[in-house]
Amino acid sequence: MTDERALIDFVTSQRWFGSKTREVTHASVVDSAVLRDSDPRLEVQLVETRFDTGTHETYQLVTNGGFDALGDPRQVRELVHLMRSGAKLPAADGVVEFDAVHGDVQAGELREARVVTAEQSNTSIVFDDELILKVFRRLEAGINPELELLRFLTERGFANIAQLAGWYSYAGKQMTATLGILQRFVVGGEDGWARALDAVASGDDAFVDSLRGLGEVTGRMHSILGSDPSDPNFCPEATSTESLGLLTATVDEEIENIFKDLPEDVPELEPIRGRGEEVRERLRLLTNLGGAGRVIRHHGDFHLGQTLWSQDDWVILDFEGEPARSLPERRRKRSPLRDVAGMLRSFAYAASAAELLRGADVPPGWETRARDEFLAGYRATVEQSLVPSGAAMDKLLKVFELEKAVYELRYELNNRPDWVGIPVAGIVRMLEEEVPV
Amino acid sequence: MSNADNWFERDPLWFKTSVFYEIHMRAFFDGNDDGSGDFRGLTDKLDYLQWLGVDCIWLLPFYPSPLRDGGYDIADFFGINPDYGTVDDFKHFVDQAHQRGMRVIADLVMNHTSADHPWFQASRTEPTGPYGDWYVWGEDDTRWSEARIIFLDTEPSNWTWDPIRGQYYWHRFFSHQPDLNYDNPEVQEQMLNVLRFWLDLGLDGFRLDAVPYLYERDGTNGENLPETHAFLRRVRAEVDARYKDRILLAEANQWPADVVAYLGDGDECHMAFHFPVMPRMFMAMRREDALPLVEILEQTPPIPDGTQWGLFLRNHDELTLEMVTDEERDYMYEEYAKDPRMKLNLGIRRRLASLLDNGRDEIQLMHAILFSLPGSPVLYYGDEIGMGDNIFLGDRDGVRTPMQWTGDRNGGFSRADFQQLYLPPLMDPVYGFQAVNVEAQLRQPNSLLRWLHRLIALRKDHPVFGLGTYEALRPENPRIFAHVRNYEDDTVLCVHNLARSAQAVELDLSRWEGFIPEEMFGRTRFPRIGELPYLLTLAPRGFFWFQLRKDEGE
Repeated sequence: MTDERALIDFVTSQRWFGSKTREVTHASVVDSAVLRDSDPRLEVQLVETRFDTGTHETYQLVTNGGFDALGDPRQVRELVHLMRSGAKLPAADGVVEFDAVHGDVQAGELREARVVTAEQSNTSIVFDDELILKVFRRLEAGINPELELLRFLTERGFANIAQLAGWYSYAGKQMTATLGILQRFVVGGEDGWARALDAVASGDDAFVDSLRGLGEVTGRMHSILGSDPSDPNFCPEATSTESLGLLTATVDEEIENIFKDLPEDVPELEPIRGRGEEVRERLRLLTNLGGAGRVIRHHGDFHLGQTLWSQDDWVILDFEGEPARSLPERRRKRSPLRDVAGMLRSFAYAASAAELLRGADVPPGWETRARDEFLAGYRATVEQSLVPSGAAMDKLLKVFELEKAVYELRYELNNRPDWVGIPVAGIVRMLEEEVPV
Repeated sequence: MSNADNWFERDPLWFKTSVFYEIHMRAFFDGNDDGSGDFRGLTDKLDYLQWLGVDCIWLLPFYPSPLRDGGYDIADFFGINPDYGTVDDFKHFVDQAHQRGMRVIADLVMNHTSADHPWFQASRTEPTGPYGDWYVWGEDDTRWSEARIIFLDTEPSNWTWDPIRGQYYWHRFFSHQPDLNYDNPEVQEQMLNVLRFWLDLGLDGFRLDAVPYLYERDGTNGENLPETHAFLRRVRAEVDARYKDRILLAEANQWPADVVAYLGDGDECHMAFHFPVMPRMFMAMRREDALPLVEILEQTPPIPDGTQWGLFLRNHDELTLEMVTDEERDYMYEEYAKDPRMKLNLGIRRRLASLLDNGRDEIQLMHAILFSLPGSPVLYYGDEIGMGDNIFLGDRDGVRTPMQWTGDRNGGFSRADFQQLYLPPLMDPVYGFQAVNVEAQLRQPNSLLRWLHRLIALRKDHPVFGLGTYEALRPENPRIFAHVRNYEDDTVLCVHNLARSAQAVELDLSRWEGFIPEEMFGRTRFPRIGELPYLLTLAPRGFFWFQLRKDEGE
């Protein structure tokens, strides 16, 4: 269609392209399916980008002659129509299948469509404030965890999510992969992250008070996710003898790697530069704990930005897991406290961000109160057998908070260098805290 | 859902960039407290293997068996040894492995069965019955005398008298393992049924045990016969026609020139073990001389596209010395088997760590060399933590002791009573489970296990190790084993010091003038390569791997 250089330039310049620090040497369309033959023609393409070391990644493009038809969101209505009709469309080397949750995709004509601008690693389009379509960009073989978790929670009547309405997927020579999902759109939802920043800046207590509710919702979500022993993909499992060791080793290595790689020219890194061993020592102290509870499927990338406040209740979004991790890694059962830690880190993040971005004076004790409210709600609703008790819970939480902060540090260094100071501040704070006993 | 198609990107060459991990089911983890490892236990430990970075698990035979040869004496090709679980347990295990991004291959013995197998029982009692011709029977024990005896320590002949049938039967291995008769088309067809049965259950391929010996012909030594290759081509064609991304890995303990034949023109096995390279790695280490290694790689013929060598340091058998000269064998015995109990057949029955006197630098250097060579590395369970062996146990049991998970009772391998264990775990002060175990090494950032985890991760970031060209550098210092690997835009320079002392080496890198060598573990940039020989100094038994990067500063 177009020359390789243009394709490389297009893909690598997209926000959703995940490997910005690596050099792409080749790009090619490995399979494609025609979604609509009449003008304007619409196609799904699987594009393989190869790196200089010979590894590769696969991305999804939806095109209409150019590279990206999603930029013209009216085109994309076709995807929803295809879900409604349960279409199966041939690709050159496979098939693209569309499915709808029974009775949940409205039959009427879709009128308006707009692209969600906040989306990072995928592309989302809202139709008439009724439906939201997420087109996955980076494709990996296997069921996307978001589809898996949304189906599970939707089927079990968990109300605090945007209900699943449909999805489409590819099965072919190249791989089997989820291409996109359609959900009910939550009308008038207010982004949890933005609410937090406003609350910090304005000193409004209502937000912090509402975090108890978020903790309760989170606890209920975990209880449901760990409630079905008959489904091997979801049944809660006892932690094996070495699971804590594996966790420690994994986090320790992430710490080691990030500290080995700290770029010289980022002044925000000064407070932690050269302190890698100290951080690793802290991790060793924290991982001296007894039981680690149980492991379950969980949200995987849980923070305020994944929540909406709508009609006086919380809605949990985006069950994809951390985009930088591989699909098998994101599907792995782990302690639900990993989600809790993600949210706690998010409170610290919100406080720092309000300070850094809006010049707000953080009300004294704001983060502590936010944590306490959230944890109180969580402890009240979570199935007790899923989490360890007493100091072990506090320590395990800290381990996951540390893991999260290290992950954030890498993410910010790769994507938003201006934000590096936030995880740095978090890591410094954790080094200064007492170890729970 | 046990189909790998659901969880893997299509990749017919996946095995070329994979790290393999060999597991003796009985020894890995006991999931039902009966003293023997099983599929449920193994499934419990998949998270560990996923963390380690294993791409493909190779299972030793798990079929019903009287276990007189570690399960290589198969009594039913379509079942699971009840000690290990059920076919459902197997399916669940394979599915769970696939979901974690790991594939599974299994040992299959095509050459022979257990004497307990119903086919053999029928063959000996009913010579004119349907199985009468499924084995190789003879009136006397003199035919094919050119065929060597492989298990020298136990077998006086390849023929054994069967008093029931009143004839001799042919066996290349133990006398309780009669060879199947591949001149009988029914035998061929049934063996294909066996392959299909397991592939249909989701298995990703087979390690074909003892593959050179399928046929017997007058005037030959009965190894590597054209008929054997023809049958393997048929097996491959069947697999390719019905399944995708499955592999056949040949165990042919032969010289490289003969082993290459098992890869055919890319139409027999996908992989074959490179046996002779392994003893030479040990030799090079002991002699502090790269020559044995460089030479064997030079003598290794090129292999067809789409095929790969399987490389290993140690496995479940003795360290085999069949593919060395007599002098080399004497040298190896002298250096590595000081106690006669350590010898078995033509080999040494010890584990990696004990062969290397538990030297951490030596163990790491051996792994570095293994991982840098053209081929896919195959690790043997327990070697990643430096487990030892027990030479007082019979046959090859000494290297098949329980995996050491923790310092607790039975090394965390089983909650059964000690007396119930299939073999005692190691309890000596150096290699015993209290000193050497997964739990402790996970917690020590500088442990062998953690180091190996990093090495595996590094290898996976660089397909060059599995796919790239290999070019030996021949520095003047004979103690240095150095070579360059290249794949697409990735060029890697590997330099290993085999000596017990620090060494300096000058390498001719003029072809890469202007490139910057970047050390791959620490990502440290070394001085730019210039016109003059490149000088490196290496610590005793030390090594460097560099990625050669274009200098973008200019």
